[in-house]
Amino acid sequence: MSYSKIYNAPKKILIYTFFTIAAVIVLIPFYYLILASFTDTTRLFTDGLTLIPRWDRMGFFNYARTVTDREGAYWAWYSNSIQIAVLFTVGGLFFTSMVGYSLATYRFRGRTFIFILVLIVMMIPIEILMLPLYNLTVKWRIINTKAGVILPFMVAGNAIFFFRQFSTSLPVELMDAGRIDGATEYGIYFRIMVPLMKPAFGAMTILLAMMSWNMFVWPLIVLRENMNFTIPIGLASLLTPYGNNYALLIPGAVLAVVPVVIVFLFNQRLFISGLASGGIKG
Amino acid sequence: MNRKLIAILLVAVLLTGLLSGCSGGTKGSKGSKEPTKLSFWLFNEVHKQFYEPGVEDWNKKYPDKPIDVTFEIYPNQELGSKLLIALQSGTGAPDISDININYFSNFLQGDIQLAPLNSIVDPVRDKFIQSRFDCYSKDGVVYGLPTHVGATVVYYNKELCDAAGIDIDSLDTWEKFEQAGRDYLAKTGKKWVGIETGNQRPFWPMIVQRGGDYLDKDGNVVLDSEINIEVLEQLNRWYNVDQFAAALPGGSTATEEAFSFINSGEIACLIMPMWYMSRYVNYMPDLKGKVYVRPMPRSGPNDALSAGIGGTGTSVTLQSKNVDLAVEVLAHLKLTPEANIRFWTHAQFDPPRWDVWDAPELQKPDEYFGNEKVFNMLLQLKDNIPSPNYGDLSAAAQDIVMNTVMYQALEEKQDPATVLKRAADELRAKK
Amino acid sequence: MSSRSLVEDKSLFGIVKRFLYSQKVAPYVLVSPFIISFLIFFLVPTLQTINMSFHKVISLYKMEFIGLKNYTRLWNVHFLNAIKTNTIYTLACVCTMIPIPMVLAVFLNDRTLRGRNFYRSVFFIPSLTSVIVAGVAFRLIFGSLPNALFNWMLGLVGLEPVSWNMEYWPAMFIMVCLAVWRVTGVYMIYFLSGLQSIPEELYESAEIDGADPLKKFFYITLPLLKPTTLYVLTLVVFEGYRMFGESYVYWEENTPGDLGLTITRYIYMEAFRKNDMGFGSAIGITLLCIVMIINVIQLKSFGFFKKED
Repeated sequence: MSYSKIYNAPKKILIYTFFTIAAVIVLIPFYYLILASFTDTTRLFTDGLTLIPRWDRMGFFNYARTVTDREGAYWAWYSNSIQIAVLFTVGGLFFTSMVGYSLATYRFRGRTFIFILVLIVMMIPIEILMLPLYNLTVKWRIINTKAGVILPFMVAGNAIFFFRQFSTSLPVELMDAGRIDGATEYGIYFRIMVPLMKPAFGAMTILLAMMSWNMFVWPLIVLRENMNFTIPIGLASLLTPYGNNYALLIPGAVLAVVPVVIVFLFNQRLFISGLASGGIKG
Repeated sequence: MNRKLIAILLVAVLLTGLLSGCSGGTKGSKGSKEPTKLSFWLFNEVHKQFYEPGVEDWNKKYPDKPIDVTFEIYPNQELGSKLLIALQSGTGAPDISDININYFSNFLQGDIQLAPLNSIVDPVRDKFIQSRFDCYSKDGVVYGLPTHVGATVVYYNKELCDAAGIDIDSLDTWEKFEQAGRDYLAKTGKKWVGIETGNQRPFWPMIVQRGGDYLDKDGNVVLDSEINIEVLEQLNRWYNVDQFAAALPGGSTATEEAFSFINSGEIACLIMPMWYMSRYVNYMPDLKGKVYVRPMPRSGPNDALSAGIGGTGTSVTLQSKNVDLAVEVLAHLKLTPEANIRFWTHAQFDPPRWDVWDAPELQKPDEYFGNEKVFNMLLQLKDNIPSPNYGDLSAAAQDIVMNTVMYQALEEKQDPATVLKRAADELRAKK
Repeated sequence: MSSRSLVEDKSLFGIVKRFLYSQKVAPYVLVSPFIISFLIFFLVPTLQTINMSFHKVISLYKMEFIGLKNYTRLWNVHFLNAIKTNTIYTLACVCTMIPIPMVLAVFLNDRTLRGRNFYRSVFFIPSLTSVIVAGVAFRLIFGSLPNALFNWMLGLVGLEPVSWNMEYWPAMFIMVCLAVWRVTGVYMIYFLSGLQSIPEELYESAEIDGADPLKKFFYITLPLLKPTTLYVLTLVVFEGYRMFGESYVYWEENTPGDLGLTITRYIYMEAFRKNDMGFGSAIGITLLCIVMIINVIQLKSFGFFKKED
């Protein structure tokens, strides 16, 4: 974009200052969480937590407890969360992109109707479906399995919606060109269109991975054993009406975020800068 | 022809399989038997600490009926909904489960999916605070076993009271308690007592103490009774007129901020059940040795000495493949004297079985609570600790008190009688 | 696989394959995963839920028909409070979660802005946390004691500490804060990817015509971002009306004074805490209708269905 030519030096400084302040504000909760994770939690609330670390009360003790507590259940939750996220994202991307692409590029009977169904799926609060869905997973014998967590929500309405919105800007001429060259409809999609949809795939990888990483109510109903839990459920089981187990909860929360952030930072070219380079020109 | 042959062969194979399975079973029971697997749902890790030694104990005592118990810990509210879904859809429930008393009435509706426990309760009934079984019963059948009495007491910060010249042992009526509150506020400028504006204490124990309640014995709504209105007006006076009562931060005694608030000496006393002792010990380190436990003041000689509030019922589900064994195990984990002593030693719950209250473990003076023998005081209350009535509308009644009644009467300063009447009508409409 | 060899194949397999590969059928094959998933996981359960909403549910196999009674019960102060909370929350989200990410995206799309990848990452990182995790931090920050971070900052400028989770507007504020903090980054990414599809030449010709940055934003960026904006708006409205987590982290079990009581929480409370699956279903179906109506109005007013037929 070419806004830059208009900017003069003071304006630039203003923009950088604004972004830096915004960045600091955004990062404060993380700082706070990390600080708290090293602090003796029995003192955390009695003394309050300021932004200045109090070294005399800090140490690795909370972490030591988190990783060893409940026979290492925390690591099991972690690995479950990762496996579910990967399966959910890969499967979800494959199916939703197809559907969204088809809805946007083909003119066929019933496509408006199907699209409205997509919107309806996006709207349904899963709370109202829990009892029937639970029954279904029991009948299919996928209760307490990863499949039970993943399958019902993998073909996510909002991802279809996004792919459809994105695909409307795909060059339809290329489809005809492909057909003339003898490619099948699916060949056109996988060989020609998918590479053009790279930015959308980038964005939806994030959306789907986040969705599965954060799923709470549904996995809670499907999963039965502590060792099969995902991180959000495991952490929520530390919140009790008898007082919250912050000594485990806070380091657990930090450990749940830090690796994801690191992976993200290493791959951020793929996720974010990828969007910038892979843009589609009308 | 061919098909028939195959069918016969299959049946034969199946039968031999079944038979060999049976013989294997009987053989095993004589020597070292395979332990029976039982699943047990909890919503609090602390409970595991006293159940686990109980299971070990069982396996030592009954080597012919070994068990292998797996504990699964869920978030409190979610355990309730998960168990409900499992029971309503007919599959997926554990053998044994802890159920928070707030949700217990949900499980006593329609076709009850919990095992009756009278066979194990009846032999020991007279050793227990009777009202604690009533909470988990319907039509005389007990479906859950209590974990504690939850006798409501007053926790005084003696250091602060002494400094203000208040003698905590003299506060045996609410009148004197309120006068102490006004004096304390005048002298120190600080609040005397903490109350919940987003939960139901001390409102609930105070009405139960005087014979009020949300529901009557038959489950009818009596939330707008004269006694209830009087008590709510009394609390309203404390909070909004005399202003010697403080709302606990976050509106409840269970928030981390409330712990810190009490710990820093912002209030001089708190009216809570006995199980709150462990919160003092675990979350309020600065009050060690300063907290003294005393009985609730009364408004007159007809008042009860305390009220049993809160609780966890433990039940066996009918989906269990070993209902009888699970019931026996449950009796061992919850009804024996040893188990009841563990409730105290592992979690500082006041055990519902009162004949262990004078056991040496419970009689050990408590350093945190002014080096006093807390259970000697409790023994005096023993015969006069009523519990609230529970019925189909219990969960709804508690919700409306916690979320609407307390907030509207105390924080929004609406008229207590109107608030209670409105809430009661809403509940009645649910029937 | 070339189309010619397909045409020549006369076996049954060939015919089926030709059918599946034809231009008429291919779109249906491509949307089939959705159709299958919709029928199994949504349509059937939804019908069951609608059925439950007319019953008193004792168990899945035992229900008592009570007609519209569950729906007439909906007209109560708690449900109205929940709708009010959701509506205000959604409005607040629309007012913040569309302009903020859009403006951020426009600036961070500027190739000459140094460290723009750094800023993009920073704004995106909060989205990597789950509500439960973020909630832990926000509970610490918005504690009601004077020494909690936000109250401490208020103290610095001479203001009284606030009981964040015990008063209406502060309660709304802390929920919206959490949502904005967590989701801005994601919507920023959507806007960034939308900005990619705007041809650079448009800006260049606008510049030749002497348009200033503001004009370019309003006459080029904004109109051409419409598909993305519409998408984000739809998401914000959906998420706003079925919000659960942002309230759950501040009020785990009780919602005093109905603060933080949203429609979804109301479903959860009635269906599971009070064992009234039928009433819960009725609330759910009503929520579905509310959201559908709002979205149809919204999509219609944006001319969404016009280009379809």
